[in-house]
Amino acid sequence: MRPANGPKPAPAAAVTAPSRLREAGVAAAMYLGCIAVALLISAIIVWLTGGSWQAVFSALLDGSLRAPGRWGETIGIAIPLVVVALGTAINGRAGVVNIGQEGQLMMGTAFATYVGVNMGGPGPLVVVCLLIVGAAAGAMWAGIASWLLYWRRVPEVLTTLLLITVASQATGYALKVDWLLLAPFREDRSVRNQVSDQLADDTRIPRLDIWGNDFPISAFAVVLMAVIVFLLFKRSVWGFRMRMLGRNARTAQRAGVSTVTYGTTAMLISGACAGLAGAMMLSGGDFGNYRFTPGFANNIGWEGLLVALVARSHPVGIVVVAFSFAGLRAGSGFLAATGVEREISQVVLALLVLALLVPPAILFIRERRRALSATRDRT
Amino acid sequence: MVEQRTAGTDVPAVRLASISKSFGAITACDRVDLTLHRGRIHGILGENGAGKSTLMKVLIGLVLPDRGTIEVDGERCQIRDPHDAAARGIGMVHQHFSLVEPLTVWENVMLGDTGRFDAAAARQRVAEISEHYGLGVDPDARVGELSAGVRQRVEIIKCLRRDPGILIFDEPTSVLTPGESERLFDVLRLAVREENRAVALVSHKLDEILHATDEVTIMRAGAVVKRMETSEADAPMLARAMVGREVSLRSEASALGLVDSVVAGSGTVADPSGDTHDEPAATVPALRLRDIVARGSDGRVSLDGLNIDVFDSEIVGVAGVEGNGQSALTDLLSSLVSVEAGIVEVDGARVQPGRPGAMSDAGVSVVPEDRHASGCVLDMTVAENLFLVDIDRIATRGIYDPAVMRRDAARLIEEFEIQTAGPDAPFWSLSGGNQQRVVLARELSYSPRVLVAAQPTRGLDVGAIEWMTDRLRQVADSGVGVLLISSELEEILQLSDRVVVLFRGRIIGEMDRAEVDLEELGLLLGGASAEAAA
Repeated sequence: MRPANGPKPAPAAAVTAPSRLREAGVAAAMYLGCIAVALLISAIIVWLTGGSWQAVFSALLDGSLRAPGRWGETIGIAIPLVVVALGTAINGRAGVVNIGQEGQLMMGTAFATYVGVNMGGPGPLVVVCLLIVGAAAGAMWAGIASWLLYWRRVPEVLTTLLLITVASQATGYALKVDWLLLAPFREDRSVRNQVSDQLADDTRIPRLDIWGNDFPISAFAVVLMAVIVFLLFKRSVWGFRMRMLGRNARTAQRAGVSTVTYGTTAMLISGACAGLAGAMMLSGGDFGNYRFTPGFANNIGWEGLLVALVARSHPVGIVVVAFSFAGLRAGSGFLAATGVEREISQVVLALLVLALLVPPAILFIRERRRALSATRDRT
Repeated sequence: MVEQRTAGTDVPAVRLASISKSFGAITACDRVDLTLHRGRIHGILGENGAGKSTLMKVLIGLVLPDRGTIEVDGERCQIRDPHDAAARGIGMVHQHFSLVEPLTVWENVMLGDTGRFDAAAARQRVAEISEHYGLGVDPDARVGELSAGVRQRVEIIKCLRRDPGILIFDEPTSVLTPGESERLFDVLRLAVREENRAVALVSHKLDEILHATDEVTIMRAGAVVKRMETSEADAPMLARAMVGREVSLRSEASALGLVDSVVAGSGTVADPSGDTHDEPAATVPALRLRDIVARGSDGRVSLDGLNIDVFDSEIVGVAGVEGNGQSALTDLLSSLVSVEAGIVEVDGARVQPGRPGAMSDAGVSVVPEDRHASGCVLDMTVAENLFLVDIDRIATRGIYDPAVMRRDAARLIEEFEIQTAGPDAPFWSLSGGNQQRVVLARELSYSPRVLVAAQPTRGLDVGAIEWMTDRLRQVADSGVGVLLISSELEEILQLSDRVVVLFRGRIIGEMDRAEVDLEELGLLLGGASAEAAA
């Protein structure tokens, strides 16, 4: 029985999917609405606490785009976010959970640092090598979780998460030991504590300067990566099978998609992306001044995960959302100058992030509901 | 367990008057009247989409009617949600189970209760109900390990526990074997006659309505077309009223659940598609299973020395009571489980069944029992679902063109008469029958050697069943070996050239369709060995 359909001669008529254009319109309206509400609430909070809401929003805009050189900064922050999020989109598609990007990113950076500082040889070669090694290290770290999952069915949600702590401790230790990552003692530094040597000038990713905005050229590579992932999702047999696995593992197995092979591949790629993001941060220059330190990851792994969620794993959406998140990050630096209390400005930022999170959640739930009710009413 | 209700009062248990309900432009119920009396089983007969379920959902509070009145025990009332319904003593056993598999039976029964509860008392109560109605359900069994028939009895216990005066059963036998259906009707009769409840039995099976009900209301396209005492009805009359045209009971017998007519007509039905089926053309079987031993995920032996041969162009029907290894057999042929011992051969070549895609690579296509579990991806489009198994067909070097996919899909949609908004419609937007067509279209599109059809018509309506059975015959005629796994005996008898009986993971009997002796078959289904049966 199909109550949503009624009599027989009209099968599926009432439940056909609404047109894509309308869907997109609804989604856009939802985003605008949520952001408007968040801005309104923020304004009220700032006003109630005696601040100037105009100043807050103006500072956010200045810090992310308007002030000289700021959109270059925003791009620089967006780069690792996009890379992490693209990896997350891939493992999400295959139905494997990875929430350990932060740790994979740390491992990637640590290994990349070692290569960058110690390898020697022609600069460009070193850059390429440190990026590759960074990706490999991230993949290895995610691979541990994947191995535990398929060998002993240890839930990957737990392992990836817990491995962050391990990565944090391990890299922290490496930064304390001379023969690993700790920078050699020099007179000009008073504190010789948990900091790596700086990458040499020729082992850094070149930076581009456009009207006073400078950012590493890896930005172009990242956009290319997004396009590649987009095509993989849209047109490749591999992406198709990944999606099949993620949506229905039994059907996939029947159709010849091995859960272990494809699941592990997805996890390794996801980890590799996080590791690569770390290596790019290190050699890109927007984070930590070409040095690796314990706080280097700075939640970029977490935020990249968030970007993928908000963009609902859509590669183009990821680029847009990553830029928005990077803008908020860059803009938050300017909030201190407004005289608004730090706690309040943090609330404003959190509200804006929340505004971006709500629509995808609603869209997801709506889709689920529709699918569920459609299947439930069938016989 | 039950306080006796006053019998013989003239006030009907439920009176629905002039109920109308529309969904958008579509009218699901159009001024429907329905009266349920205590002590009687009221059948509600109609095809899928006739409005039966909507009407029942009105009664249980899942759907609010646009117009019309509801009276329960003579009292006018509104039923806004299932809690209202429960408070008025209305309970429903839904067609689709809502059970939590890892929990035990009594835990499932207690789900939804709030506040403190006494586990020992709850177990006791479940055991009592089970015994009282002869349901034979162990309160401590894990639901995940129970067969569909037993699960339904758990649902019945869930419902009876609240001691409802009015019981609704929505297509209760769609997942049951004939024997289990009989037991269900025994329970129903007990609940009705002895305990004076009112029962509404929703069904599209004539046989069931004729056997189990006292009166019957027939619905078509949202309206009541006929209402009568069951004793005055006969199968052709009901079929005519339900479908709205003359029905050949022979060809649609299985759809309507009439074993008798199939068997009576065995001379013609035995070999529905001419003489070509009698002699298997090849001596090497298309599919050969030898001494297969397999274990389920719980470690229990699910297949225990199974032997089956399927030759080209023949339909082999695997009969058996559900839970005797049917799903393990389907899983095996879907490359979902590996064998512990034994040989699987397709066209004489050995296959390692546990490797992902091994069976489909070898040319074994499957229309699975639960298409949502292993036959489709609900969240993908219709076109994508048509290419799940062999996307390589339209790909070059790992890249495919969605436009080509859509075009090919459109062709299949037309060929298989799939009713859908188009290739890009999400799979879940299709009706059950059309989903099944998509699965079959895909499975046939890669020219299989063997087609495995597990419960291929379960839950489909008459038209869809007719279509499906015709297709299966065509498939066999085109030279493909067909393995039909079904717990609907009528279906097996109607389609198969050869019938084998599956019991506890092995084949315990085999007979040609022409030689089927129903009595012997029944004994075999119950596990009696062939010699004992003869």
